[in-house]
Amino acid sequence: MTLLVAALTIGLILALLALGMLVSFRIFSFPDLTAEGSITLGAAVATILILHGQPPLVATAAACVAGSLAGMLTGLIHTRLKVNALLAGILMMTALYSINLHVMGRSNLPLTGHSTLIDHAASIGQLISGGAESLQVLGRELSWHDLSAFVMVLIAVATVTAVLAWFFRTHLGTAMLATGDNPQMVRALGVDDRAMMTLGLAVSNGLVALSGALLAQYQGFVDAGMGIGMLVWGLASVIIGETLVGSRRLAHLLIAAVLGSLLFRLLVAIALRWGLDPNDLKLVTAAFVLAALVLPGAIGRLRMRQAGGT
Amino acid sequence: MLDIRGLRKTFNAGTPNEVRSLRGIDLSIPEGMFLVVIGSNGSGKSTLLNAVAGSFLPDEGSLHIAGQDVTRWPEHRRARLVGRVFQNPFSGTAPTLSIAQNLSLASRRGMRRGLGLAQGGEQRPDMLSRVRSLGMALEERLDNAIGSLSGGQRQALTLLMATWLKPSLLLLDEHTAALDPRSAEQVMRITQQVVSRDRLTTLMVTHSMQHAVTYGDRLVMMHRGQVIHDFEGAEKRRLRPADLLARFEEVRRADLLEETAADLLRRRYV
Repeated sequence: MTLLVAALTIGLILALLALGMLVSFRIFSFPDLTAEGSITLGAAVATILILHGQPPLVATAAACVAGSLAGMLTGLIHTRLKVNALLAGILMMTALYSINLHVMGRSNLPLTGHSTLIDHAASIGQLISGGAESLQVLGRELSWHDLSAFVMVLIAVATVTAVLAWFFRTHLGTAMLATGDNPQMVRALGVDDRAMMTLGLAVSNGLVALSGALLAQYQGFVDAGMGIGMLVWGLASVIIGETLVGSRRLAHLLIAAVLGSLLFRLLVAIALRWGLDPNDLKLVTAAFVLAALVLPGAIGRLRMRQAGGT
Repeated sequence: MLDIRGLRKTFNAGTPNEVRSLRGIDLSIPEGMFLVVIGSNGSGKSTLLNAVAGSFLPDEGSLHIAGQDVTRWPEHRRARLVGRVFQNPFSGTAPTLSIAQNLSLASRRGMRRGLGLAQGGEQRPDMLSRVRSLGMALEERLDNAIGSLSGGQRQALTLLMATWLKPSLLLLDEHTAALDPRSAEQVMRITQQVVSRDRLTTLMVTHSMQHAVTYGDRLVMMHRGQVIHDFEGAEKRRLRPADLLARFEEVRRADLLEETAADLLRRRYV
């Protein structure tokens, strides 16, 4: 039970990463590698601020802002300096690696002994439980600490998803969706498509950094290498979600990304339990994303060929 | 309303692919006039329209729209004054968004876009009646993605979007060229309706001789980046496609003559 709840909690935290990828990759078709740096940036900024005695909420908000700035820079590099999208992200990711080390002071930083958002949630859980350590769920034991952490993250992710769903129904949000769809058209309607893309990448990386901040507080440390492979993980979640929901409406896609992330972490937990070598995890994930990107087209072609043959 | 002075543009300047697309264009369109621009391929008619829309900045010359000097304005800023319909029916709409979402984008052309909810309920009746006026039964499909519509339907909607807020200048870039004949006629009919109803100052580029003589108050013929003929008033009304063809034949002969003459000179002196 503990393992399951832990997998779901991490799934929810990384759902914020998936939502960020949804904005950059699905709306703007921008494979934004900045995410691999900004998730660590978020974790590093939140951790260092908490270690310096800032309230965890402030630290988390600051992490989010730091991520947005990173995204904005990538956007400016791409739109103003005309650097290829992939390269702009790689440049930013590489630069962020050094910046993150500077923020942290060393390559691995523990948060032990400092109060985090997770601890806040746990103390509220304690109040509700009346001091009990654990409770029985479906005949298994589950600690209040884990449950409170899960509920807090669930509320956070639900709030972010709702805010995004609202945002994409506003004038600004609709213009952002349209920019990804048809930049020529939005220019003709008076929207600065370059500013819009920059804003989109800021939103995306703000979400990714938020995910990193929560992840650091949940696992109790930040590591300079924690961002490696995150882009593919986020994509995997987005793709699994799309397959699950099968709708292209934006509100559905947002929920799909969250569900996709949950399911993905669950699959990872099961695979590890069955004895998958953790070292192979990224290889398997990459293979999965490749298959998910290629198979729909390949199956379509196969069907066409069969239809043509008969 | 539109005032073009000495407009020049050379693409790929200084390379073997140098193209002198606009070679000193002077053109004024008074308020409420419907101007048609015609010309052969490579005459610079679409380049002229793109220059006015702001797709690129000119090398020389000035552009004034509604009394404002827009010569250095970027495209998205000019959109405050200019409504535009593209040649490609896919260019003017966002395919994955619904008709209503696209219309609500157009309803704020050139305005600030804040965090107010788009397509709020109060816009709905207006959308319904305007879309109904197209006579394409699209009013029942306001929430469908635009990508599911035909080229003609999308072009009619683009026209509606470009004129949702009355533009100081409407630009039509061969906007029926990519449509089947029936849709093309339908879109032209709607164009005529909208332009005369709102007395829009319009610049339409076309390669259809029939459309060129049927529509508009004034006709300008372009050749090699210059205006070579300008028909207005009674002269424009008398014009037939055959007359235009004759003029095209004239410039073609002149071109041939130039080439032959150049050839002759080369053979004699080089």
